[in-house]
Amino acid sequence: MTLHKISFGQIYLSKPMMTEADGETATLFPKSARLRNLTYSAPLFRVTVACVLLVTAEHISAYHDERKISQNLEECPYDQGGYFIINGSEKGSSGQYIRATLPYIRADIPIIIVFRALGFVADKDILEHICYDFSDTQMMELLRPSLEEAFVIQNQQVALDYIGKRGATVGVTREKRIKYAKEILQKEMLPHVGVGEFCETKKAYYFGYIIHRLLMCALGRRAEDDRDHYGNKRLDLAGPLLGGLFRMCVDNGKEVNLQFAIKAKTITSGLKYSLATGNWGQANQAGTRAGVSQVLNRLTYASTLSHLRRLNSPIGREGKLAKPRQLHNSHWGMMCPAETPEGQACGLVKNLALMVYITVGSAANPILEFLEEWGTENFEEISPAVIPQAAKIFVNGCWVGIHRNPDLLVKTLRRLRRQIDVNTEVGVVRDIRLKELRLYTDYGRCSRPLFIVENQRLLIKKAHIRALQQRETPDEGWHELVSKGYIEYIDTEEEETTMISMTINDLVNARDNPGEAYSETYTHCEIHPSLILGVCASIIPFPDHNQSPRNTYQSAMGKQAMGIYVTNYQLRMDTLAYVLYYPQKPLVTTRAMEHLHFRQLPAGINAIVAIACYSGYNQEDSVIMNQSSIDRGFFRSLFFRSYRDEEKKMGTLVKEEFGRPNRENTMGMRHGSYDKLDDDGLAPPGTRVSGEDVIIGKTSPIPQDDTQGQASRYSKRDHSTSLRHSESGMVDQVLLTTNADGLRFVKVRMRSVRIPQIGDKFSSRHGQKGTVGMTYTQEDMPWTIEGITPDIIVNPHAIPSRMTIGQLIECIMGKVAAHMGKEGDATPFTDVTVDNISKALHKCGYQMRGFETMYNGHTGRKLTAMIFLGPTYYQRLKHMVDDKIHSRGRGPVQILTRQPAEGRSRDGGLRFGEMERDCMIAHGAAFFLKERLFDQSDAYRVHVCEKCGLIAIANLKKNSFECRGCKNKTDIVQVHIPYACKLLFQELMAMAIAPRMLIHDTKTGKDQKKR
Amino acid sequence: MPKKGAKKAKEVVDAPTPDHQENNLPDYLELQRTRVVCKPDAPIHTQGFQYSGAFAAMGVDNSVSVEKFCKNFKIEINRLTEDDMEFDMIGIDASIANAFRRILIAEVPTMAIEKIFMVDNTSVIADEVLSHRLGLIPLDADPRLFDYISDNDVPNERNTIVYKLHVSCGKGSPRITVKSGQLEWLPEGSQLSAASPAQTGDQQKTFTSFGQSQKEISEKPLGVKIDDITIARLGPGQSIELEAHAVKGVGKVHAKWSPVATAWYRMLPEVVLIKEIKGDDAVELQKKCPVNVFDIEELGDIKRAVVARPRSCTLCRECVMGPTGEKIDLRRVRDHFIFTIESTGAMPPEVLFTEAVKILEEKCERVISELS
Repeated sequence: MTLHKISFGQIYLSKPMMTEADGETATLFPKSARLRNLTYSAPLFRVTVACVLLVTAEHISAYHDERKISQNLEECPYDQGGYFIINGSEKGSSGQYIRATLPYIRADIPIIIVFRALGFVADKDILEHICYDFSDTQMMELLRPSLEEAFVIQNQQVALDYIGKRGATVGVTREKRIKYAKEILQKEMLPHVGVGEFCETKKAYYFGYIIHRLLMCALGRRAEDDRDHYGNKRLDLAGPLLGGLFRMCVDNGKEVNLQFAIKAKTITSGLKYSLATGNWGQANQAGTRAGVSQVLNRLTYASTLSHLRRLNSPIGREGKLAKPRQLHNSHWGMMCPAETPEGQACGLVKNLALMVYITVGSAANPILEFLEEWGTENFEEISPAVIPQAAKIFVNGCWVGIHRNPDLLVKTLRRLRRQIDVNTEVGVVRDIRLKELRLYTDYGRCSRPLFIVENQRLLIKKAHIRALQQRETPDEGWHELVSKGYIEYIDTEEEETTMISMTINDLVNARDNPGEAYSETYTHCEIHPSLILGVCASIIPFPDHNQSPRNTYQSAMGKQAMGIYVTNYQLRMDTLAYVLYYPQKPLVTTRAMEHLHFRQLPAGINAIVAIACYSGYNQEDSVIMNQSSIDRGFFRSLFFRSYRDEEKKMGTLVKEEFGRPNRENTMGMRHGSYDKLDDDGLAPPGTRVSGEDVIIGKTSPIPQDDTQGQASRYSKRDHSTSLRHSESGMVDQVLLTTNADGLRFVKVRMRSVRIPQIGDKFSSRHGQKGTVGMTYTQEDMPWTIEGITPDIIVNPHAIPSRMTIGQLIECIMGKVAAHMGKEGDATPFTDVTVDNISKALHKCGYQMRGFETMYNGHTGRKLTAMIFLGPTYYQRLKHMVDDKIHSRGRGPVQILTRQPAEGRSRDGGLRFGEMERDCMIAHGAAFFLKERLFDQSDAYRVHVCEKCGLIAIANLKKNSFECRGCKNKTDIVQVHIPYACKLLFQELMAMAIAPRMLIHDTKTGKDQKKR
Repeated sequence: MPKKGAKKAKEVVDAPTPDHQENNLPDYLELQRTRVVCKPDAPIHTQGFQYSGAFAAMGVDNSVSVEKFCKNFKIEINRLTEDDMEFDMIGIDASIANAFRRILIAEVPTMAIEKIFMVDNTSVIADEVLSHRLGLIPLDADPRLFDYISDNDVPNERNTIVYKLHVSCGKGSPRITVKSGQLEWLPEGSQLSAASPAQTGDQQKTFTSFGQSQKEISEKPLGVKIDDITIARLGPGQSIELEAHAVKGVGKVHAKWSPVATAWYRMLPEVVLIKEIKGDDAVELQKKCPVNVFDIEELGDIKRAVVARPRSCTLCRECVMGPTGEKIDLRRVRDHFIFTIESTGAMPPEVLFTEAVKILEEKCERVISELS
């Protein structure tokens, strides 16, 4: 075996660049990468490789300062970055997490033999490593059978041979076997402890420790490790994932060929492929993970943010095990308890809470050096007998030694970490019961910041906060809090060794009356309990007053709400985009919204909502909407759809061309209108387009074959793009440019107005979705004594069973907020109470609980009930009737089965399914059933030979029928069967099975045979 | 004033006026007939007695008659400004009052921009949104001077008002805001040529065919009512050029033609102290009411609650809950409406109301003529 070592040395990353087809190289900006379907990448020098770049906030802002052209970059200032642009589409890589598994021994070898193979021969030596305390008879008893089993092997050589014999090598000499076993022990067993030589002692100690823990567990002295504990999990983020990918690209398991190894394309194309397709690993290779990179969701700003913080567990979706899907205690503050999809991926796909920080990993060496300095004794210096008296010290799961004064050590470590002399990410876990000190420096641990508490007092003082608020430079704020030791990052495992107070009041309580306080030993304090929520759940007002599934529903629905998704939407050519005419910031807000920019990029309107029946057109989760409000712009929205096309090269010379196709010389033209195209083959902006109008005209030349004599009528073939048949609108913008290969490339954006109408879907922020069931004009709406008519009337039946009290509180708080001209604070877990809000409302001259007397708009009389009315923030969801409405009489069929096509986009049929079929059978409606399933589907007619029962040849024009096999031209019958049936028969025939259609009833059939 | 309110209420309950020749209804029925009572949870008797012979057995006539109406009907104007008014309409049934309200909102015609001819729009605001905004701008044009236009009518000076908007923001100049005041009235009709200029005629054919200048039709210029409504904002190098055609329409079709922001009424509140409320209860009652319906009358040492401002009662019903609950009755007078009209500006509110009356009259006549 030759050892190849490739080192890249110091590498340099230049600015993102793009080389045009004509060889000109220029700086590439994210905007043009998106628009022109390019890849946002920068050259990496030393090895000339293009490296795919993460678009970061710095990329968007850094160049601002540098070039002083922030306006001209045309980026959204609220875009926080964190995604890649591959061929123009934005990819976010969502994290994947792996379960930490213990390394295992490949074959079943008695443990004592392993010890002997490692060089620990005497029983006492071995037992010392496993059972540190010989007086522990229970454990010693458990070990006895193992000792007896290994009794025959009493020296290292024999033990190694024993292992070697059970290895892969068969029929080799004893020396080779021993060498092989040694290598296995050195390289394969517990490789994290060491793979070098002379690691036997360390390995023996560690192996002994493993068995010790196993026995403890077997004796019931210790609980089993919790598989679902988040401290036992590691998250893979873009960095490690790309690192792994890089390795896969370079090392493909083949013999390294120096010439090929240093090829720029390898890494570039490898990274590009994986990021573009989401298949992590090389193409067409087993063991690749799919869906690692996904197209970034740009429906709402919140959906983008949430998408970039999504976490995917690779555990099989089919797995019946409920445990990994359940919310675990250790998820507190790390994973959002509300935001998870419903159905198959429930609980497997998670979302990060607002304050989580995933460690990026730091070097373990400084820690090891520190330990050395501070009196850690390693195994060479100690005898196993002292272990029970001292604390075992582990670094990244690897036992490095023991320490006799762990208290001091931990204190020092923590102090140094708070002064950032030791990396802030380092996890320090002191397990007093097990006498262990575990240190972690690895990447992928979840951690979160907490206030540090000493003597029941926060270290951070009001003065610090004030200084923070009054600081002049925006940077340095947070970092300073961390470096001065007011705040520290605590990972999931360390969290278990802390005592965290929920609020500052708990600390005050602990100081004032220690006897009654929950605890007097607080070490940390939560920054705010509402930070346990994720992006989507942070938008919900008063989530702590809702039934928990409602928050989950809203978390999913908030992603479908319309609003403004980025500020530069006019300059982007997203395939699909929805923008609200008049979005409003909510009257009732949460504090987290500030940081999610929900006020700047809102997704909803403060509607005046009444909870009433009022005619009954709002039954079963529908709502009545005020048509006059709609006329005045309530929830109107714009819809954009972009179509793209490019002039593809066909072969070396022939190229497709944009242009207006001509019916005279173009083959295969569509039936839509070509009139809207300009001379350049594109519909100009401002053109009204509808139905199947062609908006991009493109043709490819047909090579003329002169050999066949006369030239064909056609010289071109049509490849135009037409509008979706169910949509209509105006051409909003046309972008004509060149792509990476220098070919002409076009994007056409269509715009249309969506006015709310019956059937459109709306929802509050509490998982209360509904469609519009009726629109009433202002005069038909009920009014209050102030003349206010509601925009939306929801049915009272939507409330009691769903228990969305948050919505009701939002409503009265909205009323107060609107009256006082302030924003209401609906952050969860605060001191705001319904009574306080009610009192404030009463002060404004309203009924305390938000009820109003109303008059009926139709009759003009008072309503016999008080109506709950007030402003509630409503969202318009992307599901609209105009995108769903569908019916068909006749239409396209599938080629294979000749059954009607499926789906609205293909003008397909509506499925008459099994349950409908059952229903018709139950009714005995045989003729109707036959019509549905046969005549209206794939009716077909075949001719069958009466003799053999197989399909015969029929020529209806000549009126000749023939069964070649039977030499029969007369006894042929016509049979009506479904086309799918005929297909089945032919497929069976291809498998050498003859399906015979016996036409006559059995009796006549027999008669025939006799004849 | 405070005494009057209380006294009046008492009259109704305790002593029916003696000048009635007919038999009188018992108090509880009279209350049901003329008042809506607001209980702590919900109002009761909201429907009233519509049937003319409801009390025939008691010899009381419950029918509606012109004489009775003429005798009892009264309008008192409380407030009248340029674009809103409040008046009391007394002695009328809710159905008629509601008819006026509905007609005001949905059937009194106004002029509003209906068609936009967009020549140029390079602003960030989409054509559709801009057009929608323009449509909602209230115009200062008397709709009575104009006719309705139908699909196959030619736009002329009698059915169309033409406005022009041409603004641009120069390159390098700061952002500008386009206001509704920048809409320019074109009394001579459209200036855009309908056909391509290739056809040479003596006169350019435009989108309207005005016979005379609209200056001759209207005394005042037909501008916009409020001239500082933001239409759009323009960045450097952006411009808007368009022509807007306003036509006559009603609020039923689109809210932009509604002449009122809203028009509504409420029934006259009546707060009755059934029993005297004295001492601390009175103080508490006075404090409890957020709109100060009650006052304290001090008679020597005794503090007594009196109803001072029943009109401002918002029906929060706090007073009928708690210790004073039994002693107070919250009522609404069934045939007394406090009517409010908030005009958008095309016509003054009092004119709007007379227009609404005319429309109702027309409707009645139509019914009569259809029936006969």
